[in-house]
Amino acid sequence: MKRTFAAAALAAGLLTALPAAAQDKMTVLLDWFVNPDHAPLVVAQEKGFFKEAGLDVTLTAPADPNDPPKLVAAGQADLAISYQPQLQIQVGEGLPLVRVGTLVSTPLNSLVVLKDGPVKTVKDLKGRKIGFSVGGFEDALLGAMLEKHGLTTKDVELVNVNFTLSPALLAGQVDAVIGAFRNFELNQMAIENHPGRAFYPEEEGVPAYDELIIVAHKDKVAGDGRIKRFLDAVERATFYILNHPEEAQAAFVKDRPELNDELNRRAWADTLPRFSHSPAALDAGRYTRFAEFLKARGLIKTVEPVERYAVVVK
Amino acid sequence: MNAPVRPESLHTPVSVTVTGARLTYGGTELFSDLTLRIEPGVTTCLLGSSGVGKTTLLRMVAGLAEPEPPTVVATDDDAPLRGRIAYMAQQDLLLPWLSVLDNVLLGARLRHERRSPNLTARARALLEQVGLAEREKDRPATLSGGQRQRVAIARTLMEDKPLVLMDEPFSALDALTRLRLQELAATVLAGRTVLMVTHDPLEALRLGHRIHVMTGRPATIGPALEPPALPPRAVDDPALLALQAELLRRLAG
Amino acid sequence: MRILRALVTIAVLLAVWQGVVSLTGVPRYILPGPMAVADALHRQAPLLIQHGSTTLIEILLGLALGVALGGISALTLASFRTARRWLMPVLVVSQAIPVFALAPLLVLWLGYGMASKVAMATLVIFFPITTALFDGLRRTERGWLDLARTMGASRRSVLWHIRLPAALPAFGSGLRVAAAVAPIGAVIGEWVGSSAGLGYLMLHANARMQIDLMFAALAVLGVFAVALYAAVDALLRWALPWQPDTHPADEKD
Repeated sequence: MKRTFAAAALAAGLLTALPAAAQDKMTVLLDWFVNPDHAPLVVAQEKGFFKEAGLDVTLTAPADPNDPPKLVAAGQADLAISYQPQLQIQVGEGLPLVRVGTLVSTPLNSLVVLKDGPVKTVKDLKGRKIGFSVGGFEDALLGAMLEKHGLTTKDVELVNVNFTLSPALLAGQVDAVIGAFRNFELNQMAIENHPGRAFYPEEEGVPAYDELIIVAHKDKVAGDGRIKRFLDAVERATFYILNHPEEAQAAFVKDRPELNDELNRRAWADTLPRFSHSPAALDAGRYTRFAEFLKARGLIKTVEPVERYAVVVK
Repeated sequence: MNAPVRPESLHTPVSVTVTGARLTYGGTELFSDLTLRIEPGVTTCLLGSSGVGKTTLLRMVAGLAEPEPPTVVATDDDAPLRGRIAYMAQQDLLLPWLSVLDNVLLGARLRHERRSPNLTARARALLEQVGLAEREKDRPATLSGGQRQRVAIARTLMEDKPLVLMDEPFSALDALTRLRLQELAATVLAGRTVLMVTHDPLEALRLGHRIHVMTGRPATIGPALEPPALPPRAVDDPALLALQAELLRRLAG
Repeated sequence: MRILRALVTIAVLLAVWQGVVSLTGVPRYILPGPMAVADALHRQAPLLIQHGSTTLIEILLGLALGVALGGISALTLASFRTARRWLMPVLVVSQAIPVFALAPLLVLWLGYGMASKVAMATLVIFFPITTALFDGLRRTERGWLDLARTMGASRRSVLWHIRLPAALPAFGSGLRVAAAVAPIGAVIGEWVGSSAGLGYLMLHANARMQIDLMFAALAVLGVFAVALYAAVDALLRWALPWQPDTHPADEKD
């Protein structure tokens, strides 16, 4: 699932830490271009929380969102921002990854339609076109949501619109889009004066999951003190954002004027409540429940024990 | 003066006079105020070494080069030369994708003239005359250099135009082939008005009724030299060899 | 025999591939070995055939349209000076625009079906064809043009009977490039927005971490590209029999 993003984002935004002596270097690959979903990371960078934790962190945006987990699995980077469903699928394909922390602990993915369009309930999607970005599990989400309302994916026409979710919806080429992030696409459509309406997967038959998580190489976690310090700094930044939202926002857009537009400001406000208040904590039961959901929808073959792919770092 | 044989199928032979011919190239004057007379019904040879400007002069007559003022190319009947010329160059200029017969008939093809049986028969007869009757379906790539130039001769004659312009047509061939083709050319061109440019004195002597030497910088055209007897003249004729010495003397300036 | 040589080449390539995978220990979610890909080809054959035929149709249609458009553009450029002045810069700019900037526009105007993919392939192909043919038309041998002029051929006649056939080998070069590049155009179009085709399948497989399937789709695409090139090559050899290859390696010292 990819979100569109009105701000002009460069192909790779490189944010380097302030130079300091005796700092442990860390490379972190983001899942997409820098956006408010990454606020805790950016704020930790800007307010010096990483530095105070003895870390010299490099945040890199990928060209292909599918790359970061692969690169961490191949040992080319320390951490990657990824998605819980993706992780569970990747682990099923044998990637040596573990989740070490959570950035956004609610789903962001949603099914979006035009507010004054013909679709008022999920049932109205029968016989209509739904746009999606190839992300690997949109059809699973969609299938569950449709089934809750007595439909199947055969009752709709799925069209891959790749990253042009909102334009396709606004242009009327599709009647709904799945894979739109509720904090982004809805704001984008509102700004274009064509407000949208979202149906939330977690309310329509899909178990709740973490949208953005932090993953590391499975064999490199034990004994790596950096990860705990990293998570502590992220937690610190999260609380700073909660307690001082305006200063935090100022820090976020400092030196990044392209992130200071209307869309990003609105997205910031909508993303704020969704950051995990306890990045290192893990709800194993929730992960298992979602794995069972993925298995039932044929995306993974077996439900692995959670400790194989998600850990609490000490 | 030697009396030329006039073939039956000819138009009234045209005659051309070039006056005031001028050519400047890159700031240098190559020639100016030249006069050349191309007499009707005979072969006039313009003999000169490379670079003297003889090819350009021929191209001016052919309409392939814009005559530099005050050059004037005039015909005796005052009609323009356009459409009355048959041109033959040093390269055979055969189109590699057409057969030999189609190459001979190139003019008709380019002018969108209907290919009547009459036309085809005439083309075949010409191929017969140049000794390539059995190669009519072959492509030029399968012919030797000499054979290709023969096809070019046939094509030139096919045009059946009052003025034939030839620019060193045999200089790319070996000596023996050259002699043979000179014989052929002299035979088939009998009675036509021809201007042939060449750098080979022997060739001029074998084929030309009137020979002008073009030499010097800036170049000048000398008076006509008219060898005795009709072309093609024998190579071993001592009179010819004496004339060759004379031509070489004139060439050296 | 030629086929044997091709088979040996393929076998060697496969061995090298397997060697790279085994020796460097690259994980299979980045580069799977040939056995894994062969397995995916076998298991997912129906899926690959289904998506493969979609892409194949897009490629063939794109090639046909690209060649037609390219041919027309080249002829226009060659025939009209004003066209050359205005059209040429437009053509060059059209190639400078990265395809992924154009692709969404095409999808917006032509929808998510096959039309936008065909348009994408056409865009990618027509410029090599245009430049190749235009170049060929421009560089016609001077001698042929001279000959045609003296024969009284119109400009259109020269274009049709001489420039165009003479430009066919150059056009052939452009066509070979187009055949090699057409699959890319179709796949890029699919990446931007489609629900069918090998490009779509590759995206989907990549997102699902089914890298062996992604490479299997890539292999099918590769086969298309090679087959297309071979077909075009054979076609050109048949159509241009008068233009035999003269390989430097074949020359005798």
